[in-house]
Parts: sequence; C-alpha cells; structure tokens
Amino acid sequence: MSNIAGKAYAMNVITPIRWYTAWLNKLIFWVALQRPATLKGLITLSLIHYARWVIIGRDQFPHVHPSQPRETLKYSYMLFFSNFNGSWDQYVDSFTFAIPSGLDMFWKWNVRYSKSVSLTPFHKYIRYNQLDTLHYYNAYPLATSNDVKSARIVKAKLLDFDSATRDASDDDFAKQYRTLLRDLQHDLGDMYPTPIVSMSAYQVERRQRWHEGQLDGSKH
Amino acid sequence: MTYQLDLLDIQGNVLRAYGRFRYPAARYVFFNIRDGAKGRAFVAALTRRVTTAVQWGEGPDKLPPPEWTLNVAFNYQGLKELDLPRESLIGFSPEFVAGMKDRKDILGDDGPSAPEHWDPIWQHNRETREHDVHIFVSINGLMPLPKDAKPAAVQAAVNDAKARVEAGYRWLLEQVAAQQGGVALLGGHRGDNGELLDYQDVQAVLENGVPTSKEHFGYTDGIGDPVFEGVPYDAERINGRGKQLANGQWAPLAAGEFLLGHTDEALEYPPAPSPLLLARNGTYMIYRKLHENVGTFERYLDEHGQRYPGGKELLAAKFVGRWRDNGAPIVKAWDDASKARFDADYKAADGHGKDQLLSNFTYDEDMSGGRCPFSAHIRRINPRASLEFTRDEQDPAKVCGAFSVSEGAFDTPGALANRRRVLRRGLPYGTVKDRSRDDGNHGIIIMMLNADINRQFEFVQQQWINYGNDFKAGNDKEILLGNHSQSEHFPSKAVLQVDPASDDAPYILPRLPRFVETRGGEYFFVPSLTALRMIAAGTVDPT
Repeated sequence: MSNIAGKAYAMNVITPIRWYTAWLNKLIFWVALQRPATLKGLITLSLIHYARWVIIGRDQFPHVHPSQPRETLKYSYMLFFSNFNGSWDQYVDSFTFAIPSGLDMFWKWNVRYSKSVSLTPFHKYIRYNQLDTLHYYNAYPLATSNDVKSARIVKAKLLDFDSATRDASDDDFAKQYRTLLRDLQHDLGDMYPTPIVSMSAYQVERRQRWHEGQLDGSKH
Repeated sequence: MTYQLDLLDIQGNVLRAYGRFRYPAARYVFFNIRDGAKGRAFVAALTRRVTTAVQWGEGPDKLPPPEWTLNVAFNYQGLKELDLPRESLIGFSPEFVAGMKDRKDILGDDGPSAPEHWDPIWQHNRETREHDVHIFVSINGLMPLPKDAKPAAVQAAVNDAKARVEAGYRWLLEQVAAQQGGVALLGGHRGDNGELLDYQDVQAVLENGVPTSKEHFGYTDGIGDPVFEGVPYDAERINGRGKQLANGQWAPLAAGEFLLGHTDEALEYPPAPSPLLLARNGTYMIYRKLHENVGTFERYLDEHGQRYPGGKELLAAKFVGRWRDNGAPIVKAWDDASKARFDADYKAADGHGKDQLLSNFTYDEDMSGGRCPFSAHIRRINPRASLEFTRDEQDPAKVCGAFSVSEGAFDTPGALANRRRVLRRGLPYGTVKDRSRDDGNHGIIIMMLNADINRQFEFVQQQWINYGNDFKAGNDKEILLGNHSQSEHFPSKAVLQVDPASDDAPYILPRLPRFVETRGGEYFFVPSLTALRMIAAGTVDPT
C-alpha cells in the first residue's frame, strides 16, 4: 500500500450520511459551485491538486456481477477524494486551521462528524473513515500542484517572449527579457525530490531501494 | 490580558529570553545519570535553586532578579533513567522519544550538518549508555547596571555577569560532587582551538565592548519572538508578535501553543504525558548548536553585493528581511527614502516605540515579495498572514509576477502560521577573530520552545526553511539557514523578487553555499516546578 507517490498524497475518505439528509448535502454542493467565493479558501490552499466530494446513494453502489451479493445499506455515503502535496498532518491541519467552517458545512450532516475544531477528534474521524490507497501512480513525482501551474505559465510566457522578440532591437530585447523574468519571478522554483513525508515512509522507501539493489550497505 | 499563568510553577527560561532581561552570558551543562536514586537527589537539589517565571521588580515584597539563573530539562533517556513509569514515558511525543539525531532526515541535517560532524558530546549521545545526555542545565549571569555608558564600565559589567555564571557553575559542580558518582558531567563541546570543553559557553556579541543582540553575521536576533496569553511582561509586545486578526488587530497566541496543559489554537490541550501534573506548565525544548560560516557569508555577500542593484547592505537585508544596522524590517524600509524615514522615526522613538517599529508589521503591502523576498529568513520562519495569498492573474499568458491577499479565504488571516510558532531562546557562542574564515569557533546556540516539536519546530525547519512549496517557490530554501545543495550540478538558488509594477528584473542568488551548519543538538522536556519536585521525589504516578 502507499498513499504517497512522489510529492503527492492520495486521500479517500468515505463517511456515512443519512439517506434522508443526503439531499441537503447535494444542495450545499450545488450552492458552493454557484458561488465560487465559498471555495476561495480551498483554492487558496495551494498544496491541493484536487478535491472532490460526491454523494453515493445507498442504492448507487456498483453491482458489477450477478454473483456479487446484494447489500442492503443503512446509510448513503459521502466520498471525499483528494490529491495533495505534503503529509497527511500538513493537509488535514491546513484544512482545520484555514477553513474550519467550510469543512463543517460540507460534513455537517455526516454521521458522528466531530466538527473540525478541536483537532484531535477531527483527526480521528478522518483516520477512521479513510481508505488507504492500494495503487497510486504519479506521472510527475517531482512536481507539486504549484509546480504544474508554474510550468504552464513558464511555457506560455517563453513562447510569447520568443515570438515577440524575434526581430527586437538589443535594447528592446533586454527590456522584454527583464519583463519576462519579472513576470516569472514566482514560477522559477527548483524542482527536486520531496522532503521526507515521515520517517516511516522514508524507511519503507529505503527498504524498497535496498531490495532493488540501489542502496549499499546494511542500513535498510 | 486576563489569562493567568502560574508564574511560580513555570521555569523562567520558558517565558523569558534572559538576554533581553540583562543576562548577556550563559553556560549550558549536560549530565549523564549513573544511578537513578542519586540522579533524583541531584534533581531535588537543582529544583530548590531553579529560577521560575515570577515577576521581578519593586514593591512591598521586592523580588530582585537573581544574580544567576538556573534551569533544568531532560531528554527522553534522562526521564527513563530517573525511573519515570512506563505509562508516563509512552505519553511523550514520538519525535521526543527518538531524539534529534534520529530525526536528521526530517531536519535536513545532511552533508556538513550530519551527526558525524557534530561536537563529540552530540555525536556520542544515544550511542552508549554512559555517554548518553540525560540532563540539561543552563546558568545565565545577570549584568549589573554599569556605572556609566563608557565601554570600560560596560565591559566591567559584562565581566561581572560572566563571573556570576562561574559562581553558578561552581555551585552546580558542588551538587554533582554531593552525589558521589551518581551523576557525571559530560564534556565534549568544541572550543576556540578545537579543544573539548565541559560546557557550552555563550555570550552576547560585543560591539566596542557593549553587548548587542546581534549574531555573528551582524543581524539582530530574536526580535519576532511570539507573544502568548498570560505572560505579564509581554503585555505591550503583542502587536506584530501575537496572531494577526481579520480586523487588522493583533491578539496573543493561545498558551497551549507553548505550554502543555493549556488550550491551544485548536481549542484543545496539546498531546502530553500523564499525569497532568507531570505535563502542565512544562514544554518541549529544541537545543541546537549552529555554526556560522562567517568567511563564506562575507565572500558571498561581497561578490553579489557588487552586482546587486541596491548594493551590499540592501542585499544583506534581503537575505533576512531586516537591515543589519538597526534591525529595521525591510517591508517598512525597502529603499533609501523609506529607510531614512524609518531611521528618523526609530531615533526619535522611546523604548516601546522602537520595539513596535521593529516588530509591528504585516506583509499585506508586500504580497509579491518586492520588498521582503519569499525566501528571506523572517518571511519563512514566520510568514504572519502572508500565506493567505493568490495570483492576481490566473491566465498563464497574463501572469505578471504579482500576488495579492486572498481576502477572507481563511477563517483567520494567520491561519497557516499561528500553529507553527516557536519561542526562541539562546545566545551566540564564540568570537569571530578572522572574518575571512569559516573554521573559527562561532555560531549560535538556539533553544526553541513549543508544545509540539513535530507540528511546530520540525514543520518550520523542514517545510519552510529547507523547502518552498508553501511559498510557491518549489524546492527553493530559506537563504540563510537552508541546507543548500552540495552538488556541483544541482546547486541551490533563491529569487529576490521585485515590484511587479517596476521595470526591474528579479535578482537570482545563484549557487547558494551553506551559511549555517548544525553542530549538535537534542530534544528536551522542560518540566514545571511541580513536575520537577515529583520527578525528584520519584512520585510520578499516572494512575
């Protein structure tokens, strides 16, 4: 198992919600999407690649084969699915520090939701309902969400610069070059491997590398 | 401030940075416990002399500051050797149990900062039973008021402070002797000529014989120490040091960010060992010896100071976010005119006014980093409300290097910073005899205090000093403390941003060398007076 791939962490949390209040959540999601301001905090937290909340009705779970036993579920469920940069603690903590009221609004109707403040009951709620990721692939393991955005900006700006300066005089080129650097002054961060997410994840990684013959010595 | 702390129960070094209270010199001493019962008797003797956080001063029951202070802390093995019950021991945090050396990969202590380069006392710690560090003791000496302001008189007063440290140390050695081998002093601190000393001496850097609050690179240290609820002598220091509120006001941080047994910013008690009496009013302390490569710093600053458009001193200010001459924050003094204004205001201000000029600022007017770069020291270790930010333009073709406040995005503007604060204590060590060399004995001993080592100190060290993603700076590190790459092919760099509305280009600091290297350290627990007495009496019982 690994919830981590490169600089990204995959989190799946599935929490029960009473079928007769699920529509309230759908309404809240709908309002949130209509009014982008409600998601401003989430978007400002730049460590997030992606976050999605979905209501799965109690009769909507996939039944893929006739041999699969039919289930009778008491609850509907809310699936929260997110990819983010950094550690679990960093992510969950950023959520509760920065947007506790937003979290409470989304999870409010979920069974035994503890509220996001204080922290420990919220941590326990997420941990208890989290499904670990069995397989996780990351095409750009060195890139954070910010790096991906920056790369797109650098590319667009470089192409523009290239076409705009093709026939420029030296002075004009210098001026435009300064402008290019200034425009990109927040997009030139180095891209190297992630800091160690935790000592246990680091030890797992070292053990794997040792088994693959990439590490010398007995420390594995 | 209505919150009341039990000042007689809290150790003095937790609430006071002694340097600010006229204690310019100190000595740190470490012990190994050879016998649990004698170790407890030693702790009992020390406890009777421990300096509390009580308020000093005039009044009917005038309480003068002590001539020398004494404070005590233990690491995990120390508490084990003192026979704390297992049920209490397992309540301490995992990183405290593991110790600083074990956490080197989190802290970025690699290359020249790796434990094999640490002072022998720290290299040997947690390797063999008889070399394990168990107890930390600090002694700070009070400087008497000099007869006049002349350097000779001030120098004499500083010498008196050092003599008082010596007096405290002699007393300490008597307590060790009284235990007849039950407690052993651990030496192995590198001194001026590479010799190994029995203690770590620290003292304020002197300029013309007068103690300053500067470190060896010339920066004023310790200005932005956090202020939290219930510290009586910090009541006028909240603005700029507490937490930034949405209405622009400042409030003290919750006591539980820095003291166990008090509610923290998440409205709960920080994780702590039981019983409550063991934990309450205690805290965790990170002790770190940081060597300063003065020669490398001077050379790098000279080289780039010649090229940098604003000149050498502005460049030095960009590294840290403060000017070297008076500590002026660069967000308030970003060019010649604003610096001249600041200097005039500073000169005219009284003590409190000066303090506010230095500490009371936000990054609200500098969200793009044109004044204080995103990799500058003070912006990284305490970003205040500046992480509530967003790009002005989302369309890649229109991006112009500008950020602004993402107003109202978070429930409170400082949300991402308020739970990452650490109290900073300690003083510089050694003297710089040759500013062109790295290999002298000079650096700082920094002691950081917080309720949660992992959430506060380690997070700042790993995510904000040695990494840059929260600042949208990729892997770019903090300029001064970052563990910059040793690789020829993949050197570290930093970007010094400019005003997006200007016609300037950002300055790129290439091939950043390591200005600072770790030379040792450990995680300690600083108990309350109540807990010290319980530990000494062997009566800690979580049932």
